Amino acid sequence: MPDLKKIGQAVYGWVNERLDLDPVIEHARAKTVPVHKHTFWYYWGGISLCLFLVQVVTGILLMIYYRPGPDAYASVREITYEIHFGWLIRSLHAWSANLMVAAVLVHMFSVFFMKAYQKPREFGWWTGLGLLALCMVFGFSGYLLPMDELSFFATKVGLSIPGIIPGVEPIISKIVRAGPEVNEFTLQRFFTLHVVVLPLLFIPLLAFHLFLIQKHGNALPPAERLKPAAGRKTIPFFPNFMLKDLAVWLIAINVLALLAAFYPWQLGPQADPIKPAPIGIHPEWYFMSQFELLKVVGRFLPGVSGEVAGIGLFTIGMVLWALVPLFDLETTGGRRGRAITYFGLFMLAGLVALTIFGYFDLK
Amino acid sequence: MNYPVWEVPIIGSQLVIAIIAIFHVLISHFAIGGGLYLPYAEMLAARRGDREWRAVIKKHSKFFLILTGVFGTVTGVGIWFSIGLANPEATSTLIHYFVFAWAMEWVIFLVELTTIAIYYYTWDRVSDALHIAIGWLYGIVAWLTLVLINGILCFMLTPGTTWLAVAGSGQEIHVFWHAFFNPTYWPSLLIRTLICICLGGVFALVTASRIDGAAQPRLKTDLIRWSARWLVPTFILLPFAGAWYLWQVPAVQRHILELGFSTIGQGVFSVVTRMSLTLVLSVATLLVIVYLLAYRNPLDFKLGAAITIVVLAQAAIMSTEMVREMLRKPFVITQHMFSNGVRLREVAADNTAGYLARSPWVRAAERTAWAALDAQGTAATNAPDYKPQMLARGELMFRGQCMACHTMNGYRAMRTLLAGRDHAGLGNLLKLLHENKDDSPYHAFMPPLVGTTNEIAALNLYLDTLAAPAK
Ligand code: HEC
Ligand code: HEM
Repeated sequence: MPDLKKIGQAVYGWVNERLDLDPVIEHARAKTVPVHKHTFWYYWGGISLCLFLVQVVTGILLMIYYRPGPDAYASVREITYEIHFGWLIRSLHAWSANLMVAAVLVHMFSVFFMKAYQKPREFGWWTGLGLLALCMVFGFSGYLLPMDELSFFATKVGLSIPGIIPGVEPIISKIVRAGPEVNEFTLQRFFTLHVVVLPLLFIPLLAFHLFLIQKHGNALPPAERLKPAAGRKTIPFFPNFMLKDLAVWLIAINVLALLAAFYPWQLGPQADPIKPAPIGIHPEWYFMSQFELLKVVGRFLPGVSGEVAGIGLFTIGMVLWALVPLFDLETTGGRRGRAITYFGLFMLAGLVALTIFGYFDLK
Repeated sequence: MNYPVWEVPIIGSQLVIAIIAIFHVLISHFAIGGGLYLPYAEMLAARRGDREWRAVIKKHSKFFLILTGVFGTVTGVGIWFSIGLANPEATSTLIHYFVFAWAMEWVIFLVELTTIAIYYYTWDRVSDALHIAIGWLYGIVAWLTLVLINGILCFMLTPGTTWLAVAGSGQEIHVFWHAFFNPTYWPSLLIRTLICICLGGVFALVTASRIDGAAQPRLKTDLIRWSARWLVPTFILLPFAGAWYLWQVPAVQRHILELGFSTIGQGVFSVVTRMSLTLVLSVATLLVIVYLLAYRNPLDFKLGAAITIVVLAQAAIMSTEMVREMLRKPFVITQHMFSNGVRLREVAADNTAGYLARSPWVRAAERTAWAALDAQGTAATNAPDYKPQMLARGELMFRGQCMACHTMNGYRAMRTLLAGRDHAGLGNLLKLLHENKDDSPYHAFMPPLVGTTNEIAALNLYLDTLAAPAK
């Protein structure tokens, strides 16, 4: 029986001599993760990352058989019904896309309530928001790719919304949709966006986001900050937290696999632009709240002005959300700090309520 | 069709069994694994003179007693109830052929429940050696319940050629031991025993997670590491045992595993493949998670993590049992009785004499009316009561032959599967089902449709109303 430990050490020694890994490991060992009753929320960034990696791997596998252009629908059909385990890869990609958006949202709100956006972590907050936005564009562009009835009409409706604002429609028509209607060229553009442009933007931004986290470490929630330093518990990042992180990733992958296996992603009938849109066309769930907000405002203010007001309201909310690190400066609570927590609760409740309401409001 | 059909809306009667069984299987295997864990752990504690360990094991035995004694028995009775209602024909068959085994099983159950109660109530009341001996007695008796039930469970998937050759002849009792020690008996006993041992460790982790790591770090570390090791034999031997088991399953049934490789197309029975995938994944995850969360970090191991592990074990067991159940499709006793209670050897007779001919659920008046219609031949279609009589007849056919696996609107919903088909299309479907040729796409997972031409025509008319319900 060869001594595995010795072999491992020898290999590590060989690599270390050339790449000088010791300081990296030292750094990882010195880094600690706080332990308190909200530690659970520290895992959600990692879960999002894990799901993104799933997206990259399954996305590349899908590209092997996916053919943008007039064959798009037929190729997704083949992936789903003919190619061995094609249905699995496709289901994983589609489920993981949804879970990823959900994980990023959970991550964002937990960061918000732990006030982890405060100095010096402002750039972490902004890059995170950028990643969420890119995720949603990933989802929106990916959704059209199968070119079935649902994806076609949902994209059509989705693209028509910003066009309400005077002057925007021609831009969308020219740059995004490539014509007055969603067509093959739109698909080609969405495909390029989905597999080339977005990854090129996403990966460097993600790298920067992760770099910032390495630099600043995990933020403490306000209640913990009040405790004396001696009363706080921590565990080393490496190997303790990393191994737990790994365990959580495995659980995430299990949840994903269960969903993909028991609810394989379906493929509707081929899109037919001439047919009237089937009833109940709605955006993906993560666009539902925005969609519903427009509808609700539209009830009070019918017509274009209502739509513009809705979009305006939404934009103001987003700007406030993004700028929160600039006006929440008290690090240990206080009246303003609490008011901002209430603002966060209000946004969360609004998001959930509008989304749920949106589904009831479909008929 | 000797028994009434138990109609459960939305989920269907089969899923009712499955839902109860999922909990029962987890707890009943724990009842055996825990039965080996408790005396073994107590013995080690006594040998080392470790009172702290002993105290935890005593606490664990209470958790064990409540979980297995209450939930284990209640779900067990629940299974009996539900299989009797959902598959009366098959349940009656199993009772008839295995009377002796069932009788033994119930005697042993009684002994099992008594010994565990004695074990729990004699903590600190008898000598350590005697207490440990009672524990071992319980462990062995609990395992014997598996030795018995395993024969009957495996019989349904692989009754074996010896038994099949005499099935229905009244001579079955002479081949009892062949039916009992059927081809999958030994691999299945091995697999189940391994699962028991693994669960003995998993549930011990739940109790161990509650030890305060700051106050008793040595105890917590020791107990968690020791319990985690209980997973090792299972994970080394399970792949081999699984392969052995599958190798014993007839190739026709094994083929069902492959149906889901390529497609999820409607009507293709891919669920077995999908479950097998989750099975492999959840088993692998279980091992890694126990290593990372419990073995490597015993002091941080909390109840939440322990429950996650139990849930994963549950997912693994659920998929194992589902795969095993589905491998039998379309039979409930392979090559003998279909899931809807039709016996393979009665198919030809039912096709000539009629499926409803022997059914006690047909009124005498209906019987004469149908016979009269049949006698008229094609002219009958003009008779005023043709349609209502045929629909009543078709509905009975449907309940008897299809509802064992399908529901109207929920699980394997008939309305969804039939949607958009017209009368002629349904006629072709029924023809395929009736002929049940080897190359029929449905052959692997649906039984042949039995009945006379007119009975099938009646079913056709009835299905028309499901495919396009009258407004
Ligand atoms: C042994 C259980 C069983 C019985 C009994 C049974 N079916 Fe099925 N049936 C299935 C399964 C399993 C599927 C596949 C569903 C899936 O893909 O998951 C199926 C699928 C179907 C489909 C869809 C096939 C397609 O091509 O899309 C139809 C229609 C159908 N069954 C009709 C019937 C009718 C009519 C009866 C009664 C004569 C019947 N079934 C009896 C198990 C059964
Ligand atoms: C670099 C990584 C990625 C690559 C190479 C990639 C590639 C692809 C391809 C080729 C398809 C078309 C096949 C199909 O429709 O099933 C697709 C679909 C899709 N993608 Fe991606 N993708 C990536 C990342 C992402 C991310 C990060 C998200 C969202 C958070 C996402 C969301 C989607 C969605 C929702 C679909 C439609 C799924 C369906 O209906 O089948 N993708 N992707």
